[in-house]
Amino acid sequence: MNKDSGNPQNMFCLWWSRLAAMTLKELLQLGRDTLLIGAVIYLFTLDIFMAGGITMDLKNATVVSHDSDHSQASRELIYRFRPPYFKLAGEIPTSREATSLLDQGKALVVVDIPPKFQHDLIQGKPTAVQVQVDTSNTILGTLAASYSAQIIGQYGLDVALARMGLTESAFENVPMLIDQHRVWYNPNQKDAWFMTISELLTVITILAMLLPASAAVREKERGTIEQLMVTPLSPIQIMLPKVLAMTLVILLGTALSIGLIIEGIYQVPIKGSLLFFFAVTGLYTFAMSGLGLFVSTISRNLAQAAMLVIMIMMPIILLSGAWTPPEAMPMGLRQAMYLSPLYYYIEMGYAILLKGAGLDILWDSLLGLTLLGSVFFGFGVWRFRRQFE
Amino acid sequence: MKLQRIRAVMSKEWREIVRDRLFLSLAFVVPISMMLVFAYGINMDVENLPFAVLDYDQTKLSRDYLHLFIDSRYFDYQGDVHSERELDPLLADSVIRFAIIVPPKFQENLLAGRPVAVQSLIDGVFPFRASTSKGYVIAINSAFNSKLLAGYISEHFSMPQEQAEAMVQPIKVQLRYLYNQELKSIWSMAPLMMMFVLMITPPFLTALGVVREKENGSIYNIYASTITRSEFLIGKLTPYVVISILNMLILWLMATSLFHAPFKGDPLFFFLSSALYVTCTTSIGLLVSLLVQTQIAAMMVTVVVTIVPSVLYSGLMVPIASMDAASQFEAHLFPAMYYTNIVLGSFLKGVGLEQQWSDMLALAVYVAVLWLGSFLLFHKRAKS
Repeated sequence: MNKDSGNPQNMFCLWWSRLAAMTLKELLQLGRDTLLIGAVIYLFTLDIFMAGGITMDLKNATVVSHDSDHSQASRELIYRFRPPYFKLAGEIPTSREATSLLDQGKALVVVDIPPKFQHDLIQGKPTAVQVQVDTSNTILGTLAASYSAQIIGQYGLDVALARMGLTESAFENVPMLIDQHRVWYNPNQKDAWFMTISELLTVITILAMLLPASAAVREKERGTIEQLMVTPLSPIQIMLPKVLAMTLVILLGTALSIGLIIEGIYQVPIKGSLLFFFAVTGLYTFAMSGLGLFVSTISRNLAQAAMLVIMIMMPIILLSGAWTPPEAMPMGLRQAMYLSPLYYYIEMGYAILLKGAGLDILWDSLLGLTLLGSVFFGFGVWRFRRQFE
Repeated sequence: MKLQRIRAVMSKEWREIVRDRLFLSLAFVVPISMMLVFAYGINMDVENLPFAVLDYDQTKLSRDYLHLFIDSRYFDYQGDVHSERELDPLLADSVIRFAIIVPPKFQENLLAGRPVAVQSLIDGVFPFRASTSKGYVIAINSAFNSKLLAGYISEHFSMPQEQAEAMVQPIKVQLRYLYNQELKSIWSMAPLMMMFVLMITPPFLTALGVVREKENGSIYNIYASTITRSEFLIGKLTPYVVISILNMLILWLMATSLFHAPFKGDPLFFFLSSALYVTCTTSIGLLVSLLVQTQIAAMMVTVVVTIVPSVLYSGLMVPIASMDAASQFEAHLFPAMYYTNIVLGSFLKGVGLEQQWSDMLALAVYVAVLWLGSFLLFHKRAKS
């Protein structure tokens, strides 16, 4: 194997120049596939831009009212169903129509106000408002139900206080808690701040696994791996350039996406050190590419690799808290979260970008990612080397 | 169009799939495991929120008030802190998601009939979680408030406590949860996951089909043969549609018997629309395959056109009606949205053809357009 042995320094240079040549080859191969580059650029720009327009909170949920009272009080209550949460979509004459609107998904909430609503309120008699909520999607349904209850409860309290002659100026003499909320890191609760970063981290995850896996399997499928095996390159020199090239592409894409979309269009304030974020991203792509290489060793063609990547990727994304609040995981899955490298990456990503946290706070997540990453990468390398024996 | 030639392509494709054991098993294992993981794992309930308290008052009333949070199942008490400065690192490290600060003289002011401002600090990184936590805090505060007020009123207007409580809350809210009375999230998650899984896996099965032949060069056998374009495409697509329909049936069985989601709709309507939907999603893969030159590109383009729209534009997390006009338009361009209506309708609402013919029609139009697109993109003569 070491026919080209000279002095050790020469060997060292040779090793690196081979690595560089192979990395260049990977980059060239990637760059010549226009559609592929287009898809990668799309994922880092337009896709993240579109994700920024999505909100997970209830927004403009359609409310239809069935008002049997037609009084000032009932109208006042109905008009409290306002944006951002609700959108009034008119009134219906009969309650039977409510069912058909709900069936067709044209309304999410139907508010039913009883006759003599205002009369009862003035008299101080208890009255009841019926709210029907479409809970076929439980997430949205529960939100809509709790916001509606809040609105009606507040209206009731306001009416009661007004009846007792306690207007707002008199509030100073009433024992009450006044809610003061301070939302940190995202004071106006802009969904775009969360969604764009979440999408970016997901895109990085997908690419960090898929690109190295497919680059390795492709050589197998086309038979070019045989050519590489008869060269003086060691398995590491064949494999590492693939990971390096893909990491480079991913880091470039990340820079593009942060500069152009996240900071540029959505004006998310980046609080922490971008250098630290890129270092963590590099580490993370290495960890994930280990998994990608592992996939490439057990699959013989790209179709198999693609299916395997999906199968491994989905639990990793799910267990990370990218789409769901991690606290809500069932107990067993909460422990499994610590096995998802994305979990650490997401914690650190948000902490660095939005919270401005540094190494002093994040050292434990960094340690977790490093350990997990070394295991994954080591495993991938070990499997990859074994192929050559 | 000759049936014999279609059958020939079909059996060739089928044999290729069956001989690739790993691929064949993955074609079934991937959808099943996705369904299992997601239906069990996606939980948007905001529960067990870790929080800390900062009690400047340290009186009986302040402790009573804070116990409303500590005893709630939505919160997970992490302990007391003694100054606001201690809260910063806890929030930054995600040890806690929010904190309640009770001001000094809390008890004194309230007993004297004066309002008190209670501050909550909320980690706003995940806006959905932040607004839900805020909602919980508001709910607890207003429950505490109506008690306080009722006590105050009964004292000032000298009436019994119960009457005063009724006075503060004159309107009862009767909430009726339709279609899923017990708010079981698995009931809505399982059908939604059928939509999701059938949007993602079928395109990945087909996406590499034609492009692999292009890369291997075996496509020249097709070019040189007498088979027509549509015969080839039908033959190529059918095995994958069959696999996907099988998958659809498996997922349906899982949803109904494993996750016990109720199925109230018309089975015939549901299975016909589902078959249309999987034909749609497999055809998306085929179209991608015809469009690109390399297998890697095929995979990436498939990721782009399937995963993102099925999460964001399907109504899975965001209702279509809540989107802005541009996103609504985009949502109408993907088949996922129509099928979301159909699965939720058939499983939970018990509606059928009468209410949802338009969704089914949209899927049919989608199939036709995809088919036409594939037909026009596929040429038997290699471009010179």
